[in-house]
Amino acid sequence: MKINQKIFLQLGIFIIFFGLMGILINNLTVNLARTGIGFNFSWLFKPASFALAEHPLPFTSSDSYAWALFIGWLNSLKVIVSSLILATLLGALIGFARAGKNSLLGFISAAYITIIRQTPLLLQLMFWYFVGFLGLKDNMFIQLKNIFSVSNQGIEFSGLTFSSEFLALLLGLSIFTSAFIAEVIRGGILSVSRGQWEAFRSLGLSERKGFIRIILPQALPAIIPGLTSQYLNLAKNSTLAIAVGYSDIYAINDTIINQTGRAIECFIVLLVSFLLLNLLITNTMEIFNKLILKSRKYS
Amino acid sequence: MEPIVIAKNLTKSYTKGLRALDNVSLTVDRGKVLVVMGPSGSGKSTLIRTFNGLETFDKGELNILGIRVDSSHDEKRIQKIRKRVGMVFQQFNLFPHLSILENITLAPVHVQKRRQAEADEYGMYLLSQMGIDSHAYKYPSQLSGGEQQRVAIARALALKPELLLFDEPTSALDPERINEVLDAIRKLAEQGMTMVVVTHEISFAKDVSDQVLFMDSGKVIETSHPDIFFSNAKHERSRKFLNQLDKH
Amino acid sequence: MSKINIYSLIIHFKNLKKTLFSNLFNTTISFLIIVLISVALSNIFVWLIFNANWKVVTSNLPLYAFGSFPANARWRPATWIISLLLLSIFTLCGPKWKWLQKNLLVAWIGTIPLGLYLLYGGFGLSPIMSRHWGGLTLTILLTVCSSILSLPFGIILALCRQSSLPLIKKLSSTYIDVMRSVPLIAVLFFGQLLIPLFLPIGIEIDRVWRAIFAFTLFVSAYIAEDIRGGLQSIPYTQIEAAKSLGLNQYQIIQFVLIPQALRIALPALTNQSIGLFQNTSLMAILGLVELLGVGRSILANPEFIGQYIEVYVWLASVYWMACTIMAILARHLEQRMSINQAYF
Repeated sequence: MKINQKIFLQLGIFIIFFGLMGILINNLTVNLARTGIGFNFSWLFKPASFALAEHPLPFTSSDSYAWALFIGWLNSLKVIVSSLILATLLGALIGFARAGKNSLLGFISAAYITIIRQTPLLLQLMFWYFVGFLGLKDNMFIQLKNIFSVSNQGIEFSGLTFSSEFLALLLGLSIFTSAFIAEVIRGGILSVSRGQWEAFRSLGLSERKGFIRIILPQALPAIIPGLTSQYLNLAKNSTLAIAVGYSDIYAINDTIINQTGRAIECFIVLLVSFLLLNLLITNTMEIFNKLILKSRKYS
Repeated sequence: MEPIVIAKNLTKSYTKGLRALDNVSLTVDRGKVLVVMGPSGSGKSTLIRTFNGLETFDKGELNILGIRVDSSHDEKRIQKIRKRVGMVFQQFNLFPHLSILENITLAPVHVQKRRQAEADEYGMYLLSQMGIDSHAYKYPSQLSGGEQQRVAIARALALKPELLLFDEPTSALDPERINEVLDAIRKLAEQGMTMVVVTHEISFAKDVSDQVLFMDSGKVIETSHPDIFFSNAKHERSRKFLNQLDKH
Repeated sequence: MSKINIYSLIIHFKNLKKTLFSNLFNTTISFLIIVLISVALSNIFVWLIFNANWKVVTSNLPLYAFGSFPANARWRPATWIISLLLLSIFTLCGPKWKWLQKNLLVAWIGTIPLGLYLLYGGFGLSPIMSRHWGGLTLTILLTVCSSILSLPFGIILALCRQSSLPLIKKLSSTYIDVMRSVPLIAVLFFGQLLIPLFLPIGIEIDRVWRAIFAFTLFVSAYIAEDIRGGLQSIPYTQIEAAKSLGLNQYQIIQFVLIPQALRIALPALTNQSIGLFQNTSLMAILGLVELLGVGRSILANPEFIGQYIEVYVWLASVYWMACTIMAILARHLEQRMSINQAYF
């Protein structure tokens, strides 16, 4: 293509694109003016006047919307980080079982993976919440000397309490993500060539030692990118918190929109919150990746 | 003479009734070199890989260094054998995430529980024997194929094995790199190492072997002294195979 | 032959013994698992047969299938679902005549206007508003329409992202990255809320089409990345070969790049459809009464209150079955594509 042509083509697309945007924004301003809401962010500092069941930092209904959103973001972070750890442990266990030699374990983990992956996450979350936790009767306590108790209010463990909402979300997200992580880990293990297994066996290394010293270090570089994208999915999926009544960032945005009608501003807030979450996850994984690469000087 | 390898009637079937090994019997004595030849798919690799338990078999019996193995493939005995038998692969199979020296010292340190310093010293000695001690701290991907294969030989030697297995050690190499590896193997033969070598290199087989075993479709067609095998093979099938190799 | 089979069976059994009971550790684990599975399976079996009250499912079957579609017109969505099922069976097990295989694709695409006609009515059928659509019918409709719409969008986005024109590249990559970083539920929710705000006064889109539109916006970003992966894995020699044949830029894209990229990306694309099928369930908390929504509304009925397990188990098995059918169809399509190109 000639340079002139390129410039004209881009100019044309530029005009079409911004023309379309102009029409849409014009419609928007007309519609907003009609409803009398307008577009600004000053409402962020007005009192929220709703209560939150769960808040890691102090929160009362006279605190501002901005503070409520921050609390929601922290709640999101809390459930994401804890399910991320649980899902990784569970996924590693199932992935190893799936790639291992014991055919019974392999069959069970394959069944687990297909059942979890082929049913909607939302359905699973509702199951854990309504059947797993609310199904427990409030007088049904599993107690160990007042240290540990389980009821439909959640779990209490030596002073620490976890609500049923949090636990259902934690369990549902972890189990759902673990099935995907298991496949990532299995794929990573299978990506190491058969020759490597034969080489360490021919040297008399035990299966366990060979796996840890030879196979795992080579599988990890293939596993990390897959893990990162599963963690990002986990973060996005955590917004289904609203289905079980856990006040995460999305649920609080939802409440605010219902109160104030500020849909566009809230969408922007949500976008920024998620950009921050994603940056947090990808950067942490990048550091982790570099740590692994450091011990790996070969290309 | 002390036999190192005794195989009796080894048979291995794949599903659909194909035989990878069909009633294979052989003996290798201490200090001797057995060369195994045959067309691809004849079962020669399968045979050599049963000697250290990388392949199982369905019938027959193996006796490696006095350790008996049958079709039940007892893990403990296989493990004992692997500590005393070294193997060199066609595709080198070096560990890409470990340096050359680490590749060599891994098994001495973790299998034989030797001290790292001691293992390093012996590893350097082996590397100098192979003429590649200057590469000790490089990684496998930085070496040529011939150099990698010599590292693989050094790695197999690090456990001071009593038997060395070579599975087509030069088939993945560039033609001009083949001799450096074959020379290293010749040197080992001169030092009296017991070896089983699967190869297509005729002149090398003539020089080094005490016995040539020719296989086709899982069966042993003939076992002869190399002088006889290469000049006047007993079997029609062997002569045909040698003719075809010559043409290449 | 039979002798060989018995022999291989024996080998198989030996291997099983070897993998399960090779040493004390494996034997213990295997034994524990067998005991655990037996206990779990027998408990589940007892519950399924004796303890569960399946009336909540059996007496509401039409609701699960069609939602609140008028009873006298239920034959319409039923016809559609049955024709989809028959077509699936035909695709998998039907005769392998070439002309038939070629027309199968046309038949599959034809199911969309057929479905819309049967649901909407008109032209001789009584018109039915989209707010009466529901159940599995709506779930399938959302999946099919969004998948079909997001494919061309995805292709265009992928091509734009690979473009040598910096402005186009920047615009499409920004769109793709932003869409991929937000949660689906947010896109769906704001789709319901914001799409009317962006339209001129007087034009309205119903909830179902707003959902389909939002799904399309979301999924096309993911499809674009899958297709970009396919495009990038085509060796440059293909483009050189096409250029040497005198094809121009658009011909190269149309005849060389897109067909190959689609074939490479096919497994990822079918996975997107299966994911989309599951994700339509999100509309249950955003005001549509699709399959999961029907379950929720039945559970809200005082007659069936508290029967969560039965409803959830039933819904899970329906979703699982549908996803499995989709996966089998997808694998069939992949095999076909690797043998010949009859589908494209």
